Amino acid sequence: MRNLFPKWATPLLMTALVAFSLSAAAADPIKIGLSGPFTGGSSPMGISMRDGVRLAADEINKAGGVLGRPIQLIERDDEAKNERGVQIAQELVNKEKVVADLGFINTGVSLASQRFYQEAKIPVLNNVSTGSAVTKQFLPPEFADNYIFRTSANDTIQSAMIVEEAIVKRKFTKVAILADSTNYGQLGREDLEKALASRGVTAVAVEKFNIKDTDMTSQLLKAKEAGAQIILTYAIGPELAQIANGMAKLGWKVPMVGSWTLSMGNFIDNAGANSEGARMPQTFIQEPNTPKRKAFIDAYLKAYNPANGRIPSPVSAAQGYDSVYLLAAAINQAGSTDGAKIRAALENLNKKVDGVVTSYDHPYTHDNHEAIAPNVPVIGEVKGGHVVYAYDEDKKNPVHIK
Amino acid sequence: MDILLQLLLSGIALGMIYAVIAFGYQSTFATSGTLNFGQGDALMLGAMAGLSLSGSIMGGPYVNYWLMVPLVLLIGAFQGVVVEFIGVRPAIKTKSEFGWIMSTIALGIIFRNTAENLWGRDDLPFPSPLPTEPLHIFGANVLPMELLVVGGAILMMVLVELFNRRTIYGKAVVATASDRDAAGLMGINTGLVITFSYALSSMSAAFAGVLIAPITLTGASMGAVLGLKAFAVAIIGGLTSGMGVIVGGLLLGIAETTTGFYISTGYKDVPGLVLLLLVLAIKPSGLFGKKAIKKV
Repeated sequence: MRNLFPKWATPLLMTALVAFSLSAAAADPIKIGLSGPFTGGSSPMGISMRDGVRLAADEINKAGGVLGRPIQLIERDDEAKNERGVQIAQELVNKEKVVADLGFINTGVSLASQRFYQEAKIPVLNNVSTGSAVTKQFLPPEFADNYIFRTSANDTIQSAMIVEEAIVKRKFTKVAILADSTNYGQLGREDLEKALASRGVTAVAVEKFNIKDTDMTSQLLKAKEAGAQIILTYAIGPELAQIANGMAKLGWKVPMVGSWTLSMGNFIDNAGANSEGARMPQTFIQEPNTPKRKAFIDAYLKAYNPANGRIPSPVSAAQGYDSVYLLAAAINQAGSTDGAKIRAALENLNKKVDGVVTSYDHPYTHDNHEAIAPNVPVIGEVKGGHVVYAYDEDKKNPVHIK
Repeated sequence: MDILLQLLLSGIALGMIYAVIAFGYQSTFATSGTLNFGQGDALMLGAMAGLSLSGSIMGGPYVNYWLMVPLVLLIGAFQGVVVEFIGVRPAIKTKSEFGWIMSTIALGIIFRNTAENLWGRDDLPFPSPLPTEPLHIFGANVLPMELLVVGGAILMMVLVELFNRRTIYGKAVVATASDRDAAGLMGINTGLVITFSYALSSMSAAFAGVLIAPITLTGASMGAVLGLKAFAVAIIGGLTSGMGVIVGGLLLGIAETTTGFYISTGYKDVPGLVLLLLVLAIKPSGLFGKKAIKKV
């Protein structure tokens, strides 16, 4: 075979190649998984979360990225289906080799998919899933380190807040629970019953219904006959709307207080005037009461222009936005994209992260992977088709720090 | 007493919703011995088309609710013709026993996926043409829209009965229903009659869609549960009896609301389905159905 190059050319070429590959490595993007339901009934939450994450990633990239490298989001639609979530987790871990995953709206999808990240030692930040078990799947001593973190308020916190609002603040003694028959609804109902028991109250009626049920007459009549003064809910938007509309039909109007899903656009739109006054725990309300929040809301509305100037799910958007900054801070502190190092950095974040939901000062420890403590969320109320602060003092002291 | 009355009224309203949809199963079964398993999706298409015309989701409203209804009926009829032409006719031609089952289910899924892409997958509010304040009847509350559902369902069935009994075209339908081969020999274009029955079936589903949309939620997946419940109603009442679907619908609707209240809301679907099993075990042709003797 004839030599194509003179002898002196080979080392030169090698050096050039090495230099080229080094410079390529420097600009290599950091791949971060972003998974959630972008279609289907949970999509208002999934899309808001995705858009919040995109917004933060764009801002970070414009400011020079993380460790001098840009963030690249690998987005996948899990359709709120457990089996899709599992496929996506394997793809993101094995094929895309992401350094972390932001995501999960549905508790069921979280519980089914997280195993793959845990095994690969890749940190996961749950941006919306609220099931109490989500961060407790891989605890010591069985697992030395837990890679599952959360930026949302879990069901234990939410049910305690719902009960406090109903029993302590508004002094009702007879409550009815209406929950849907999914995992979300039934696990939430258990949490609600526990929270009620701790206040020495037993619900006068506990009723359930299926997704897509169109008639709530019997559930509501049972609650009414049992003398309920207030209805506590654990369900999602469309069926919550049927409950509110069913109450209007029966001419029986009692307050509704329930999990944070009462802030979903598809509840407010489908229930119309009947949604007025419903209250729920919220980590974030679309109200520009701090400069940080104002900047976030303005940027979101400008970038995505949602209908009626309303973020479809403000809570999901804010938690998604904050999760990127938390992760970026951890990667910077770790000085590497190694999963174990990022986890260790998340568990001991030295830099305070000023987020939209709250100011995160050491949000996680080795044994506590919940960024949101019971004092962080506030109670929101539906008013004129928007979710607003139920209590003025919360609006005036906007940032609750863990 | 008020409670029972309220449960009965809500049950009747719910039952009539099922009956209107179940009616669609009947009309095709009578003429061709086949069913459109995409009935729930035909209902959804009717509701979504109605919302596009009289709501604001596609840049409308273009027409008001009452003018929209005839347009939706036309769209429904056209959809029925498409289903018959693509899904059912080849199966009847080849005398396939099961081909039409798969093809009507497949078409239903295609329609649903198309709707998801056209209108998204979220549930949308359908503006009510009538006041949403409930009416008080002997201490129980009823929505004006629920009365419209009951009235609309009865009106539709009366119109179809009149058509069958009083017009020459209706008689052709009845003749095809009682004996397709003999009707064909008498010069009736039975193929056309079957096409017509599919048009009528999807038309009634589309009509049911726009009737119930203001009280249920409107979305691409709204037809699935309703289509299934209506199928149970058609089996309970009998696939050959117009009276049967009304009685079957009322039975199922009232069973659901009363069980929900008196036993448990977790079991409210059970009595209706137990009734279905009983009917299938004791009188498989349905409460009001005529026994069909299958000649082989």
